[in-house]
Amino acid sequence: MVDEVYMLSVFEKSAGYHSVLSLEGLPDPQRTHVMWATSKDFGMSGLRFGTLYTENRDVATAVASLCRYHGLSGLVQYQMAQLLRDRDWINQVYLPENHARLKAAHTYVAGELRALGIPFLGRGAGFFIWVDLRKEREEEAACVIMCASVKYNIRGPALIPRMKSKHRIYYITLFSIVLLGLIATGMFQFWPHSIESSSDWSVEKRSVRDVPVVRLPADSPIPERGDLSCRMHTCFDVYRCGFNPKNKIKVYIYSLKKYVDDFGVPVSNTISREYNELLTAISDSDYYTDDISRACLFVPSIDVLNQNTLRIKETAQALAQLSRWDRGTNHLLFNMLPGGPPDYNTALDVPRDRALLAGGGFSTWTYRQGYDVSIPVYSPLSAEVDLPEKGPGPRRYFLLSSQMAVHPEYREDLEALQARHGEAVLVLDKCTNLSEGVLSVRRRCHKHQVFDYPQVLQEATFCVVLRGARLGQAVLSDVLRAGCVPVVIADSYVLPFSEVLDWKRASVVVPEEKMSEVYSILQSVPQRQIEEMQRQARWFWEAYFQSIKAIALATLQIINDRIYPYAALSYEEWNDPPTVKRGSVSNPLFLPLIPPQSQGFTAIVLTYDRVESLFRVITEVSKVPSLSKLLVVWNNQNKNPPEDSLWPKIRVPLKVVRTAENKLSNRFFPYDEIETEAVLAIDDDIIMLTSDELQFGYEVWREFPDRLVGYPGRLHLWDHEMNKWKYESEWTNEVSMVLTGAAFYHKYFNYLYTYKMPGDIKNWVDAHMNCEDIAMNFLVANVTGKAVIKVTPRKKFKCPECTAIDGLSLDQTHMVERSECINKFASVFGTMPLKVVEHRADPVLYKDDFPEKLKSFPNIGSL
Amino acid sequence: MQSWRGKSLWLALSASWLLVLLRVFPLLRLAVPARPWASAPQGWPHWLDTELLPSFSQPGELPEDAPQPPQAPRGGGCDWGACFDASKCRTGGLKVFVHPVAGPISAAHRKILASIESSRYHTASPEEACLLLFLSLEVPAGECSPVPQQWNGGRNHLVLDLHPAPCPQTFQLGRAMVAKASPTADTFRPGFDVALPLLPEAHPLRGGAPGQLRQHSPHPGVPLLALAEERGRWRTAGTDPSACPWDGRCEQDRGPEQTHPGGTLPNATFCLIPSHRPDALHFLQALQAGCIPVLLSPRWELPFSEVIDWTKAAIVADERLPFQVLAALQEMPLTRVLALRQQTQFLWDAYFSSVEKVMHTTLEIIQDRIFGASAHASLLWNSPPGALLALPTFSTSPSDFPFYHLQRGSRPVGRFSALIWVGAPGQPPLKLIQAVAGSQNCAQVSDRFFPHRAISTDAILSLDGHSSVTTSEVDFAFLVWQSFPERMVGFLTWNHFWDEAQGGWGYTAERANEFSMVLTSAAFYHRYYHTLFTHSLPKALRTLADEAPTCVDILMNFLVAAVTKLPPIKVPYGKQHLEATPPLVPGGPEPQPTARDCINQMAAGFGYMPLVSSRLRLDPVLFKDPVSVLRKKYRSLEKP
Repeated sequence: MVDEVYMLSVFEKSAGYHSVLSLEGLPDPQRTHVMWATSKDFGMSGLRFGTLYTENRDVATAVASLCRYHGLSGLVQYQMAQLLRDRDWINQVYLPENHARLKAAHTYVAGELRALGIPFLGRGAGFFIWVDLRKEREEEAACVIMCASVKYNIRGPALIPRMKSKHRIYYITLFSIVLLGLIATGMFQFWPHSIESSSDWSVEKRSVRDVPVVRLPADSPIPERGDLSCRMHTCFDVYRCGFNPKNKIKVYIYSLKKYVDDFGVPVSNTISREYNELLTAISDSDYYTDDISRACLFVPSIDVLNQNTLRIKETAQALAQLSRWDRGTNHLLFNMLPGGPPDYNTALDVPRDRALLAGGGFSTWTYRQGYDVSIPVYSPLSAEVDLPEKGPGPRRYFLLSSQMAVHPEYREDLEALQARHGEAVLVLDKCTNLSEGVLSVRRRCHKHQVFDYPQVLQEATFCVVLRGARLGQAVLSDVLRAGCVPVVIADSYVLPFSEVLDWKRASVVVPEEKMSEVYSILQSVPQRQIEEMQRQARWFWEAYFQSIKAIALATLQIINDRIYPYAALSYEEWNDPPTVKRGSVSNPLFLPLIPPQSQGFTAIVLTYDRVESLFRVITEVSKVPSLSKLLVVWNNQNKNPPEDSLWPKIRVPLKVVRTAENKLSNRFFPYDEIETEAVLAIDDDIIMLTSDELQFGYEVWREFPDRLVGYPGRLHLWDHEMNKWKYESEWTNEVSMVLTGAAFYHKYFNYLYTYKMPGDIKNWVDAHMNCEDIAMNFLVANVTGKAVIKVTPRKKFKCPECTAIDGLSLDQTHMVERSECINKFASVFGTMPLKVVEHRADPVLYKDDFPEKLKSFPNIGSL
Repeated sequence: MQSWRGKSLWLALSASWLLVLLRVFPLLRLAVPARPWASAPQGWPHWLDTELLPSFSQPGELPEDAPQPPQAPRGGGCDWGACFDASKCRTGGLKVFVHPVAGPISAAHRKILASIESSRYHTASPEEACLLLFLSLEVPAGECSPVPQQWNGGRNHLVLDLHPAPCPQTFQLGRAMVAKASPTADTFRPGFDVALPLLPEAHPLRGGAPGQLRQHSPHPGVPLLALAEERGRWRTAGTDPSACPWDGRCEQDRGPEQTHPGGTLPNATFCLIPSHRPDALHFLQALQAGCIPVLLSPRWELPFSEVIDWTKAAIVADERLPFQVLAALQEMPLTRVLALRQQTQFLWDAYFSSVEKVMHTTLEIIQDRIFGASAHASLLWNSPPGALLALPTFSTSPSDFPFYHLQRGSRPVGRFSALIWVGAPGQPPLKLIQAVAGSQNCAQVSDRFFPHRAISTDAILSLDGHSSVTTSEVDFAFLVWQSFPERMVGFLTWNHFWDEAQGGWGYTAERANEFSMVLTSAAFYHRYYHTLFTHSLPKALRTLADEAPTCVDILMNFLVAAVTKLPPIKVPYGKQHLEATPPLVPGGPEPQPTARDCINQMAAGFGYMPLVSSRLRLDPVLFKDPVSVLRKKYRSLEKP
């Protein structure tokens, strides 16, 4: 290993310098490594720039991997490149000057040392001198060095030039210029991007006609036909997606090109308005990446939305020459109108090999379950017409058919229905007597009556969506939008996004064979369900049909869900309309399960320094048969807990946890020591609860493991005068909270309290040193939607004997503070989750006329 | 002075360099013509002529697809609309006929036959049936059962193939549906075929082993992963991610492990199940154990995937990304783990724990297809108590059931109907009617026996002619019921116990510290239980109940407990020790022998003992407290 760091600092011309690299051949090329850096030769040690010359690939790789942690900033690299590139300056200006200075400094120091009679080694290189101080006594040696340094200070510029004020100004100016230069350079590194993304857009805007033209030779390769057996785990290269902390796939869009054949005839329309919109939506979404090497999904810019506008073979050739085509792996094509006359295939006819197809109008024969995505056929009317939402409810027509091109056989069936049921059924057709024009798309006629097209759909409860030549019909989108329940009559049609959307909730599917019975089938649907379906239909349109953007994002989300199944959206997230989502509660402990009694509970005692009272609590609690572990949370950082020998001896394990900070939230921390599901939170001064009372509390918790089970109950009330919530500790007939001075609950709520508490409630509680129990009551009620269970008559913890003066001894400020908490929490939760009940749990035979000694829990305490 | 000049030079040099950088460079940049756009990958460009682009479909083309005659289904393929004739089912309801099987059949097949015969859809006449079941048998010689008589090209047939014995099809399936255990994804026809679970030979006929989950959250210290191995074995691996995820993928140290003997259930949070079809057996084991199945690119269709939302109970991951799977499992939030675990148990108990449940679920799926719009909603299939216990004939709106109020954000109707059973004609119990009608929540009083249609409220107060309840007792009980609409809320209770001496179940009306049944002679419950009682219980049990009056109470309690898996609720009742005991508790403290039989026959009929005991009673908050009577809302409850 050769360190040539002083390579350019050889100022004695006669000495010369020969790098090992200047030899004809290295002695052992694989084991010779040469280093050099700018720190010495250019006096730039602060930049940490160095080089390693090696021919050994392994060493190079190993060192290269180190660069990950010791990387050079772009600025430094840029500057160094500029510096080293300027050879003329280095050879003609810098090195001679540097050498001259080094020589002057060396001469001076050497002279002084010689005068002092100190032996030294001075060779003609570097900016150091080897001085031999062994002969001097130690104090003297120190003196020599010090003197020398003093001398340098006095004698002016030598190695460390003392700055005169003139020079100082000069250097400050120079450095500020250099600094400014660096900043400016840095800004140019990053500026261009921002310019491009804001003002430069206007400059870069181009017309579609200007896109580059690509000529496809007639014999360029054609992809294979689609493989019907493709599934995600066989045809999709999941490695490209990789591990991604955000669980989002990266989508790349190929740049737009115009493809022509050998004769210069274009292969297809360059791009349609809808496809441009679709690509813009993807590009604006979180999925988009412009780095082709990091992309997981590729979207060609070749527009295949409508098969009729393209030449099949040539389009396939265009696909095949995409830079990452690779048999179509991980490529996604969007097609809404597949097939063409006469047989109208239900999937795009363009050979596409393994590419995924997002198609409108799949049939079960062509749809590759779990691979392709079935999308809607976009209705241009969605953007053109303004149709305000109409609430659900009975409408003028029961059944409406609005499609113009209906097979005569089906039209006969429909007209027969109309004849049988009169006013309730309306079958519309093309208007023949209207003057020709685009507007005819928006008119429908029945005999001589003219209707406005999408508006008439709002007059009907059910609307027929019949297959045409293609299975997918744009009318479906219009029907959903009007809040009309679609009656889909298209055998084997795969409904849009059927992988995730529950169409049973928004539509009725009738086999084509049963068309004549359609009326009686629909009549059997109860009115309430119809209204539900109308609401659902409108919601589907708003969420997934409304715009090209909605269609594109839903498609990508479906593919994303397949690749990152752990982060997939749930059925409810896809299907529940926002109103249902807001009102519903999904209880995290929904399974009706009574935990075995043998498991027992863990008691957590929060304590600060009341050791005596704490020991009494421990002794009392340890008498409860189902106790399995006792955890003392020592919240006092200034004082050590008592020694082990002083603690009461109890039959279950006792653990002491010391906290880092005196916070009330420590009581609800999910300690690893908690092994049981049931947790009893108990204060260090709760000594009045009897063992029977606690054991019964645990038994009650087993029946209601998803609730807070506590002893004294409290209530929240709406104060009509003040217009806010009020905390109530009067002994009322109702309960909405229990105090957590002693309460059983599931340990999962500790996790929720610590990690999922909404807003700043946790900090608020710690700052005010109050209301942690109210916060817990809010949290549990909000997540489970259920009320607390108050156990036994117990009304208060403090002073069990002085019941007579209740109400008088109340601390007014305490009540005000607690009321404040309720109002604060209700505003953070955005609702009042607490539920009021009028019952409490007692043992079955409580206060019954029954021999006390036969009762399981005879010793239930008093108030 | 030379150095000074040099310095000035330096200064000038740097300053001019800065000037150049600041001024000239941007000019240069602007002077350069716009870069070729392909190298400007800043998203999809905003074209100047967006407005001028043509639409993907020409006006007129979209609505005016060329008309096309209806296509006949192509050969080989079948789907529900094309191959099943539902008209027969719509008139007479789903009726299932099983083709008689010739020759000896295995125990497993006998169970299947028995479970179909116990279904309410079963019929003995092939003419009446709209679905014909054909049991595909494994015959040792490799020859398959002959085509049955009413084969009819397989129309409206369901071929049951529960134990995958690849039998060369000697006859064409034609239009028949196939219900097969773990079918390969390639041959499965979604919406037409039914995917069944791969059941072990010894799967019980009814009842079945309950799920193994004893607590909601994973016990601390339970290993993260169990890996399915050959012959029903499981190997548990530690949480160490470097431990090799699955067989054959690494030769290094496999980390801490233990091998279970065949047939035992895994004890871990997640169960990794490889992709091949025989591993489908592991899937059920994991489900029963409450171990969240992690399926690695399964090549088979998950059982009942048509209706069950498996994303709520299992994770389908890509086997090509072992470390990503591991990382995702380790980082999975506790809330999700909890939900998945509980869902596995619910699904096991609802659809898989016995052959009967599996077969009834199969028929229910076909029934749902026939129903179309009024089939089970997805919520009914995928949340407790499950679709077999939530009948769509009752209502299509989940809010009408007692189970889904939380999910729907709804509440039960705040009024109740009193239903008074009068055995023999005579004087109507006027006093009782007065007391009940005194409750302001009482919507109607009726004394007809099971008047399903006439009851318009969610709650029913069921009373006997002899019962005596006070208005405030009824009011309080109803208030409690509103908090627990899925349970029975009653005044008088019985308790069941295991009688060692008799070797059977017994029950007692004596007052005790526990109870597991409430008497329907005075109890609140949801009207849905009437429908369930009448339509879902096997006929044998109902006849039993008709014969012995006490059995009705037991049967109703069995039914509700089987649905909710929770005990009923007792509320205070003042007069039990004074007058009501003899008539209200038939048989007295020592029930008659027939009644004792009754509980055992019920338990046999259900296949297990669903009753759960409770040790608590719900009282008003100030019940019998030494505080002023004026504070109390339900004063009269405390009168002796």
